[in-house]
Amino acid sequence: MSVGLSAVLLASAALLAAGAFALVARRSAVTTLLGTQFVLLAGAIAFVAFGRFGVQGQAAAAQQNVAGSMALVVGAVAVAELAVGVAMAALIYRESRSFAVDADRG
Amino acid sequence: MLLIGALPQPITSAPLVVLIYLVLILMIAGALASVLLRSTLYAIGAFAATMLLVSILYLTIAPFVLFAVQLLIFTSVSALLLAGLLRDTSGFQRATVGPFSREWIIGAAVAAALLALVGVVAAVTSWPIRESSQAVACCTSFLTTVTDEYRFALATVVVVIGSAALGSGLLLAGSRAPRTPGRRG
Repeated sequence: MSVGLSAVLLASAALLAAGAFALVARRSAVTTLLGTQFVLLAGAIAFVAFGRFGVQGQAAAAQQNVAGSMALVVGAVAVAELAVGVAMAALIYRESRSFAVDADRG
Repeated sequence: MLLIGALPQPITSAPLVVLIYLVLILMIAGALASVLLRSTLYAIGAFAATMLLVSILYLTIAPFVLFAVQLLIFTSVSALLLAGLLRDTSGFQRATVGPFSREWIIGAAVAAALLALVGVVAAVTSWPIRESSQAVACCTSFLTTVTDEYRFALATVVVVIGSAALGSGLLLAGSRAPRTPGRRG
């Protein structure tokens, strides 16, 4: 039994699908925010997986550092996006006493 | 740098493989729970658990610094932001069960069992301790890469985070300020 690139990439794809579902199908602003977080997290995990399993030899360490740097930047952008999204969700809640973001506020 | 070369090297150490598969499965389950649960509080709890599991995944396959940053900064800041949102809007509901009720006892038992499992894995494989000596060298290499080759990216991240903090602060401050009545009342 072993863990390779495909297993981590499958998990990353599942995370991306869950995030995309939240973005498309849910009406709550909080769930939509969580969906965007999952989409970004899936990208970061894919970077890390390619860094860990992508290349062997002398370039492996450098590749892992590059992938880690990308994941770090993606995570920072995700946190920044969450900060703005949380403020917008708070505004939506104050306007309508609900986190629903669609037109009918159902 | 091209993504070609020798064949990828999978992880074959049995306890580590089991741990990674467990983390991946729980991570997907947590993400699905976070998306599908109707209760905002439970969804945020599942999201925090998913972030925690991602940090554990980083511990196994990524540089140690990334695990530390994911756990200490990204996970905690995200959870605090979402908890602050709940506290500011719909609020936390007081628990309707006592501290020694059946639900709390079952939860404590599950937590103790998971902790014992982690202890057994650590004792059998001496995995985190064995890896810690390599972690220092790995951290140094990673930080050197980030600070030497990605200065512009770091500066961009600082600007993005600063702008986000400023923007969210202005949004919240603007919504709390008293509104002046218009001409028509």
